[in-house]
Amino acid sequence: MDPTLATLWILRLLFLALIYAFLFGVVRVLIRDLRSASREGTAGLGRLVVVASPGDDPGVGAVFELDALTTIGRDVNNTVVVEDPFASAEHCVLSYRGRAWYVEDRLSTNGTFVNATLVDGTAALGFGDELQVGEVRFRLERGRRR
Amino acid sequence: MSEDPRILRRPFVAPRFSPRTRRRETVLLILVAIILTVGSVSLSATERVAAGQPILLGPTDPRALAVYLGLLAAVHVAQIAAGRRTDQILLPAVGLLGGIGLLLMERLPQGLVSQDFGGTTLGLGQLQLAWLCIALTVIGVLAVAVRSDAWLRLYKYTWAAAGIGLLVLTVLFGVDVNGERLSLRIGPLSGQPSELLKVILVVFLAGYLSENRALLVQEDTRIGPLRLPPLPYLAPMLAMLAMALGVVVIQRDLGAALLFFAVFLLLLYVATGRLSAVAIGLVLFIVGAAVLYRLVPTVQERVDIWLNPFADPTGAGYQIVQALHAFARGGIVGTGLGAGLPRIGGQLPIPAVETDFPFAALGEELGLAGILAILGLYFVVIERGLRIAAAAPDEFRAILAAGLSLVIGVQAFIIAAGNLKLIPLTGITLPFISYGGSSLLANAIVVGLLLAVSDRGAEAPPATS
Repeated sequence: MDPTLATLWILRLLFLALIYAFLFGVVRVLIRDLRSASREGTAGLGRLVVVASPGDDPGVGAVFELDALTTIGRDVNNTVVVEDPFASAEHCVLSYRGRAWYVEDRLSTNGTFVNATLVDGTAALGFGDELQVGEVRFRLERGRRR
Repeated sequence: MSEDPRILRRPFVAPRFSPRTRRRETVLLILVAIILTVGSVSLSATERVAAGQPILLGPTDPRALAVYLGLLAAVHVAQIAAGRRTDQILLPAVGLLGGIGLLLMERLPQGLVSQDFGGTTLGLGQLQLAWLCIALTVIGVLAVAVRSDAWLRLYKYTWAAAGIGLLVLTVLFGVDVNGERLSLRIGPLSGQPSELLKVILVVFLAGYLSENRALLVQEDTRIGPLRLPPLPYLAPMLAMLAMALGVVVIQRDLGAALLFFAVFLLLLYVATGRLSAVAIGLVLFIVGAAVLYRLVPTVQERVDIWLNPFADPTGAGYQIVQALHAFARGGIVGTGLGAGLPRIGGQLPIPAVETDFPFAALGEELGLAGILAILGLYFVVIERGLRIAAAAPDEFRAILAAGLSLVIGVQAFIIAAGNLKLIPLTGITLPFISYGGSSLLANAIVVGLLLAVSDRGAEAPPATS
């Protein structure tokens, strides 16, 4: 075979082969990524991060992984205990229904606020929204993979 | 009420220099450099043999290649130096697509597009290189500088208004190219605002859907067997979409209209998980398409060409017939870079090959194997975008990342399928590969935002109030 033609053929096929080598490398990374993600288990439903807390209990930055039904209040029997003079013993309930989070005020003395708006009964709560119980403010975030 | 102490303290925190290695990206970028060098050598060897000269193993345009790879490396190093924990697959994948585009533009006759800048005339390859440099800079700046998304999510209506304003300006003062009023000319620069509008539309939809998702999931309105979200909350989105579509259809930019509608439906599904919304959207699409077919002669012409391009192979169907021939000539492994696209009467076989038909040109020169690999690269971009969406800490970023990656995927599908005569051809660019400043710039913004959203060390989402 003519060496010129052979060189051209080799260059052409090498170019294609290298593109596939790149794809192969990327796909291997992607698969490893997916595997490690599935090993780590499913993501939680969501989490509450403390944004502001004058009494420092819970402290700023504390994270609460949420169950499908999470109660918040001053009483020790709540899932999330808020040691704040303006919080009621049974202040509010967070519930995960269908595909979204809802917050229900349990007739607390000082009210529950979502993004600084007073909750009347039940309100929808989106990820990134701020929830205020007494003087403690939380932010709802999507669950991390554990 | 006391303020968030972190917000009060932030201005006094001095920026720290804390580089962070990105091994995966480094390895993949080195591979990209090797691939593009081999491609360039293959192109120059083919061209020299065609001209009857002996083979010299060197890249076609070493300076252009060096500038491009240098900027890719610069974006990489900038992210390392800034210590960003952004996605490491996106940049190499996009860099490879852009590089293949650059090789193609260097291979096409340089006179297809030329522009004068103070006496020096820049050809197709040099112009594409210039735009790629600007695009890479945009990607790097967005990936490193964007630490908060408040400027996007808080001003969604402002962005929407700006986008619509841009389109209206184009309709009023635009320049007609091939009977389509698509470009806006400011001095020596001209651009297609609909490219930027697709980014703005995704930002707006992400902002609106994330804010009202809980309300949209409810099913208040019933029309027969269908259950719909409450109509008042759909209205702003539909209004924005209708305005965008209306102006785009008036401009005869059918590809953009198709892209906007598809992305709107996909994002509605991503946000609410309701197939009923998508079903209604598809019905609306079929009705709309039928009405447009009756009313707009361009649509009718496009569909007729699609159904049978061989009815008028030298006239209306010329472009698509030549594209089909190009794919056929390419075969499995192609003719090789630089060896395809025979001149017909001194002209390239496919008109507008650099903007609308690069996929056909690559199909001829790299063959089935080549275009499958290129489609694979687009799938990688989409997969990364959806992974970024799945890992995002809040809904705005999740919907934004999903929307940004789907916009690229859908656009690539529309034009690739159009080239292959799988669907009627609509003029739209192949992301990262086609020649064109607006397209490269808009897609660079998309990739830059995706990288910024993927940063695991980014600022927490702001509280809406």
